[in-house]
Amino acid sequence: MTSGEPLAGDDAEREVERPASVVRPFLLTAGRIAGGDSLVPPIPIETQVVSTDRGLAALDRFVFDQHRDIITVCREPQSLAEIAARLRMHLNVVRVLADDLRADGQLVLYAPQARSNRDATVLRRVIDGLRAVPDSRGAIREG
Amino acid sequence: MVSELSPTPGARSVRDDDERPRPPLPVKMVIAGGFGVGKTTTVGAISEIEPLTTEASITSVAAGVDDLTHTPEKVTTTVAMDFGCVTLDPTLKLYLFGTPGQERFGFMWDDLLEGALGGLVIVDTRRLDDCYAAVDYFEHRQIPFAVAVNAFDGKVEHDLDDVRWALDVADHVPLTVFDARDRGSVRDALLVVLEHALTRAEG
Repeated sequence: MTSGEPLAGDDAEREVERPASVVRPFLLTAGRIAGGDSLVPPIPIETQVVSTDRGLAALDRFVFDQHRDIITVCREPQSLAEIAARLRMHLNVVRVLADDLRADGQLVLYAPQARSNRDATVLRRVIDGLRAVPDSRGAIREG
Repeated sequence: MVSELSPTPGARSVRDDDERPRPPLPVKMVIAGGFGVGKTTTVGAISEIEPLTTEASITSVAAGVDDLTHTPEKVTTTVAMDFGCVTLDPTLKLYLFGTPGQERFGFMWDDLLEGALGGLVIVDTRRLDDCYAAVDYFEHRQIPFAVAVNAFDGKVEHDLDDVRWALDVADHVPLTVFDARDRGSVRDALLVVLEHALTRAEG
């Protein structure tokens, strides 16, 4: 990962400021990465992650801040993408750490439905939900 | 990893002795297009949160764990990706991912875009070339998409038929005009994509 360069993307040209971590993220993952040519497909970025009671009970006992931070933000369901953004961690680091915490019973991961873009029922639900979004902000919308 | 995940969000989890909140079904759409065309503006216009930025990797060479460790020259590029979300109801949450860059659009994006309901390719008619890569990607991956001309200053300088001809997109691909700053306009553009996807799903 050290060979990676920030891409001067469209909306991403700004420097992302980050607090220096005592532990290099990929050290924490023991060199494991998600994605790449792994035989296991990477966990989808919109996968929902929720802390378990067991994870929350262990909050004071985590050795690494990253584990504790993930459990803390996942009191409320979050996507992997949101966790990565809010904790300023690389998405692939979050993938590995979240899967570790899942294996320990401290997080539950809810994968998105496969092939939802071929599922008329899901598409209709999204269409109906989106149609209810008002034109302008500030309007009250019932969930 | 994936095989061990709970397959259906909103259903009982694998550890349902917990009283933890039950997450919504996540779905995602992709906002693509060239540099500075208004992708993050589009996401921000409709997102219920300020757009967030996450770092992700795109790898242009197959790289396993060991390979990457021992041959660091393999090319992994970290890109920053802006995204937002809309909670459509308590059981359904739509994520919108703006894809950075344009030339690098290719197979390496599969990791991030797998399972997307559809894509919106934003076009600036003054720089049509910038969106070719995204159009090609969606066509090849058979992800339903629509082309949306961002009407900067409320006007479009080209006739839509000319745009379609210039982009050489198939007749069935919807082409629309929208204003990336306007929430209702963004909503309607996304609906064009979804209705297109629904037509295919029912077909």
